[in-house]
Amino acid sequence: MQIINYADEERRQEDNRKLWDKVTAYFRSRSLWMLHYCTGCGAMELPPIMTSRWDIERFGIVPMATPRQADILLLTGYASTNTMKRIIRTYEQMPEPKWVIAFGSCTVNGGMYWDSYNTVNNVGEYIPIDITIAGCMPRPEAILDTMVKLMNMVKSGDAKAFQKYKDNYGYYKANQDKLFARTAPVLESASLKYVHNETEGSEQ
Amino acid sequence: MNITELLKDLNSRGLEAEKICDGEIKVIANKDNFITHLHYLQSINYEHLANINGVDYIDENEFEVVYQIYSYTDKIHIIFKVRIPREKPVIQSIVDLWEQAQFYEREVHEFYGIHFEGNKDLSPLFLEDWMDLPPLRKDFDTERFSEIVMGSMRNGGKK
Amino acid sequence: MVVINIILYSLFAILVGLIFMGIGRKVSARMHLRYGPPFYQSILDIFKLMSRKSFTHNFVMDLGMVMALAGLLGTMLYVPIAGHSAFISNSNIIVIMYLMAIGSLGMAMAVTASGNPNATIGISRALTMMLGYEIPFFIIVLGLIISNNSSSISVIAASQAGSIWNWNIWHMPLGYIAMEITLQAMMGEKPFDAMIAPAEVASGPMVELSGKYLGLGLLTHAVSIFVETGLMVNFFFGGGSNPIDFVIKQLGIYLIAVIFDNIFPRYKIEQAVKFLWIFPTGIAVVQLLLLAF
Repeated sequence: MQIINYADEERRQEDNRKLWDKVTAYFRSRSLWMLHYCTGCGAMELPPIMTSRWDIERFGIVPMATPRQADILLLTGYASTNTMKRIIRTYEQMPEPKWVIAFGSCTVNGGMYWDSYNTVNNVGEYIPIDITIAGCMPRPEAILDTMVKLMNMVKSGDAKAFQKYKDNYGYYKANQDKLFARTAPVLESASLKYVHNETEGSEQ
Repeated sequence: MNITELLKDLNSRGLEAEKICDGEIKVIANKDNFITHLHYLQSINYEHLANINGVDYIDENEFEVVYQIYSYTDKIHIIFKVRIPREKPVIQSIVDLWEQAQFYEREVHEFYGIHFEGNKDLSPLFLEDWMDLPPLRKDFDTERFSEIVMGSMRNGGKK
Repeated sequence: MVVINIILYSLFAILVGLIFMGIGRKVSARMHLRYGPPFYQSILDIFKLMSRKSFTHNFVMDLGMVMALAGLLGTMLYVPIAGHSAFISNSNIIVIMYLMAIGSLGMAMAVTASGNPNATIGISRALTMMLGYEIPFFIIVLGLIISNNSSSISVIAASQAGSIWNWNIWHMPLGYIAMEITLQAMMGEKPFDAMIAPAEVASGPMVELSGKYLGLGLLTHAVSIFVETGLMVNFFFGGGSNPIDFVIKQLGIYLIAVIFDNIFPRYKIEQAVKFLWIFPTGIAVVQLLLLAF
């Protein structure tokens, strides 16, 4: 399935949005509320950017308690398969427009957990991501820089990953099903599994 | 009872007990009668079962079940080890001695496939829709599993 | 003319309430040694929320949110702003006490219709809190009515005109202390914010509100700040000689509440109700007895 790259398309045909869209984009960029859903270790990097040292509230970015109220979903670290289910559910509960920021190497290629049986390697295959921050873990400065970059992207209308999710839902759904809706064992070694037989056990 | 008395006591009961460091000893028991020894330990104030672990010794073709037991009066931590064969990983449950063993045994069952006889509920605890070999067994190839399911690549895809 | 009046008063109250919220955020940021958002941040938030997609669960949810805002705006129209008010009434205290409950009830209708258990817990806490703060509030108001022989806020405010020493805060200091504690509960600020506790019930009543509904909720909060601080100014601070004077006094009262909000931890709901029924109620009763005899 082909994925449409909105950022490139946008750059090609210049800024031809209506005035109203530009105005709303300005207000949205100045008041981004983030959902404080913390997976993995990146949650540790959020308190410094919200408290006195880096104070992200001066850009109007505040943490929110529920997905209904939030604009940004932060994935702060590795996502295990069980967590991934909840992330997708959370993402789909958020009202549009919504943006996703993925933190750290783990969300890009699995990081140090790349060959684990339960860690998703590339989160971007299951939900659309606007910005990823590399690093293990990224420093608060990097996070702050990303936030400002996202604000600019929202203002210029480049941050359209949620649109991508709607248009390419088939692609994302197929990937999600591959991960969650397994009906048969993946490896042949599953036949080695020990199955306990009650009657045999009681004879001993 | 201090640590030397305990070692002497356990050795006299036919267990291989050995001091690791201050306040920590290692005990190796037989799978047929380890329950009686645990019972005895519980009766001499070893009332806290902290955890149950599994270890896969694939070269020796054995699983090891490790019970972490602690005494609040003696301040001694006992690492109580029992080995079982890999072909038939069945061991008696200790739910009757410690109720919390229910969940520890469920976890070990889920990740190593060790069956605990006498534990009523061994349903999956953490893994959802898992159909392969229990993932922490050494003969489970996590790298290949990850390659197939998540599309992971060694060295980021470079040869 | 009346319609234009109503619209202008409503816009004024909303604008003042929103700017107060922004200033409150700035002040609490400074108390945390942070820089803080700009003072117009709440207005940006409202515009953003109004331009977002929003989820509704049923008709009752739509109706309840509008009812909450309308109830509080209705209350606001009876509060004299430096002698001016949209509706002239001889006994507006009674009307205000009656109308103020509509805001909470509308909110309760809307959020229970969403079916989220956290919202139900939150709103039941909010209504319990109302039970807690209305008793001391009514006793204080009774004291004011007795001492002025009138249930009109304009009369109470006018009786304090002239000098700063005519203010009721000097005549009935105990009543002021009780009112200050009660006000903290009425605005849902810190010792009494069990209903919106984000870590416990995920922001309580607001849990299921998105986009425009959350925007309406924020506007309701802004108007409630205006009404409650406005009542306080009229009752104890002489009412103000002109609207600017009035708003500055309101801001002072709101900032006291914000400062208390920043230095206190949170009461559990039963502790909060117990506290409100013992201390502010007790102080208010003592004040009432002093006035009556």
